[in-house]
Amino acid sequence: MQKRNQYIEIEDFLADESFQLWILTKTDEQGWEEWTVENQQRAKLVEDARLLLLAMRAGNKEISPIEIQSALQATWKRIEEREISKKQNSKFSIIFLQKHWLSSVAATLFFCFLSIWFYNNQISPSNTVVTYNELIEENNEGLVEQTNNSDKPQIITLSDGSSVLLQPKSKLSYPKIFTGNERKVYLSGEGFFEISKNPKKPFFVYANEIVTRVVGTSFRIKAYSDQQNVEVLVRTGKVRVKSNELISNSDEIVLLPNQALRFVRKELVFNKITDITEDKSLIQNVGNIEQLSFEFTDIPVTQIFKTIEQAYLVNIDFPKDKLKDCHLTTSLSDQPLSEKLKIICKSIGNNTNYEMNGNQIIITSEGCN
Amino acid sequence: MKSQILPPFTLEDNTLWKNLKSGDEKSFSLLFERYYTDLISYGNSLSPFSEKVQDCVQDVFTDVWLYRDSLQDSVVVKAYLLSSVRKRIARLFQRDHIFRKTASTDAIEFLFDFSIEHTLIDDETTAERVLHLNKLLNDLPPRQKEALYLRYHQGLAIEQIAEMLEVNYQSANNLLHRGLLSLRKEFQGNLFSALALFSGFSQLS
Repeated sequence: MQKRNQYIEIEDFLADESFQLWILTKTDEQGWEEWTVENQQRAKLVEDARLLLLAMRAGNKEISPIEIQSALQATWKRIEEREISKKQNSKFSIIFLQKHWLSSVAATLFFCFLSIWFYNNQISPSNTVVTYNELIEENNEGLVEQTNNSDKPQIITLSDGSSVLLQPKSKLSYPKIFTGNERKVYLSGEGFFEISKNPKKPFFVYANEIVTRVVGTSFRIKAYSDQQNVEVLVRTGKVRVKSNELISNSDEIVLLPNQALRFVRKELVFNKITDITEDKSLIQNVGNIEQLSFEFTDIPVTQIFKTIEQAYLVNIDFPKDKLKDCHLTTSLSDQPLSEKLKIICKSIGNNTNYEMNGNQIIITSEGCN
Repeated sequence: MKSQILPPFTLEDNTLWKNLKSGDEKSFSLLFERYYTDLISYGNSLSPFSEKVQDCVQDVFTDVWLYRDSLQDSVVVKAYLLSSVRKRIARLFQRDHIFRKTASTDAIEFLFDFSIEHTLIDDETTAERVLHLNKLLNDLPPRQKEALYLRYHQGLAIEQIAEMLEVNYQSANNLLHRGLLSLRKEFQGNLFSALALFSGFSQLS
């Protein structure tokens, strides 16, 4: 009882039921009044607690006993109904019990029909299709969207130095600057990604129903909203793919160089292709960039620039006279475009710099050492 | 505050709970009568739709009865019921926003505003101070308000609040303390004694 002698905080009083009773209903069974005036400091605390309590009224609307009884009756009725439906038919009862679950599936279906209607494409009706626009809506970081309406691939350089070669009729959304612990971009269509290495910030590509996760590597994703499959093909490094949690939680599939994966959208099935040379449709689509080798042994710089031009479909403007006798030995396979250029410039030395403006790259140099 | 409503010589919650689990309808009804008002008022502070809140509370009790076999033996009954109501309302919110992925109970906000015990105030100085305090209280972040409400109006222990709000003990403690601490700061020490201020700080650090 005399635990109140130890009270040193307003909180102690507030939590004391008999104190509350005294303040709010003037029921003073435990002699609070007397106890309070014993000590001046105590009186001050009590007064503060009292004021706070007066300011903290929770206007509990009284519910009359009659109302409570009728609510109780209603609840018993509910219980009865549930019990009957449980007995009647086990299947039916499962449906009944999981009505919440069902309604969310219904909502998903509805949303999918809606999106199909929006896109007016040829995807057969299915409740699992995730589109680019839905993905974008999920993200609220303020994204930049780049669409390639031309008939040539377009190079995009991201804030972390990663490059994406975006194919015609494709678009990519990405944050202007990557913040936080993850790098997330959204793809519709086809792109070849070369990701700058950063194990602390994994890179995610959201494309239709699948999510591809990498740390630093190069790979291609083909995810057109009007095609039945989504494809991922790995060039270097290690890539992990799983389905977007919006539709299901699948296990991650790990892909190594020259392995690929085809996701059948209708059936939500992953088909891993361990030997890409046996899959004609994959091979057909392999772009320049995936065929060209970036392993250079004592190769003229002019030749290297030509290879880059072909791979990324860019124009490189460089002082031909000054660089005509320069040779390099370097491995650029696993690097995004900006990294490749940086390495080349550094290797040439002598104030060599590059500047990139869309598809136009300008090299300035005083010649090689 | 609620204890006044309870009739004297009532059976302990835990006894009723145990009886309920073994199929005693009377115990179920007694618990229902005991906590219905509290659950409704808590529900109303989370959702503006009072009819849906009534549904939720009745559904919580329905589930308690239907799944009584799988209920845990030792629970703080009131905390369990309040927490179930919270989860149910959160689920309701979630269903209403079909594609929000936030399934957690964080999604719901405490909408409740504290009011003033006007009938217990008879002088103007007190009225003014209480009014100011009330305003400060209502300006606190929703989670802090909810923690205060659960602590001082529903009489939950800090452990139970932590469980309900899905945070650890220390965070729940902080929610409660920070609420009152910022109140003290705002009030520039006019109201609260230096002792309380001091002890508040030392607890926080």
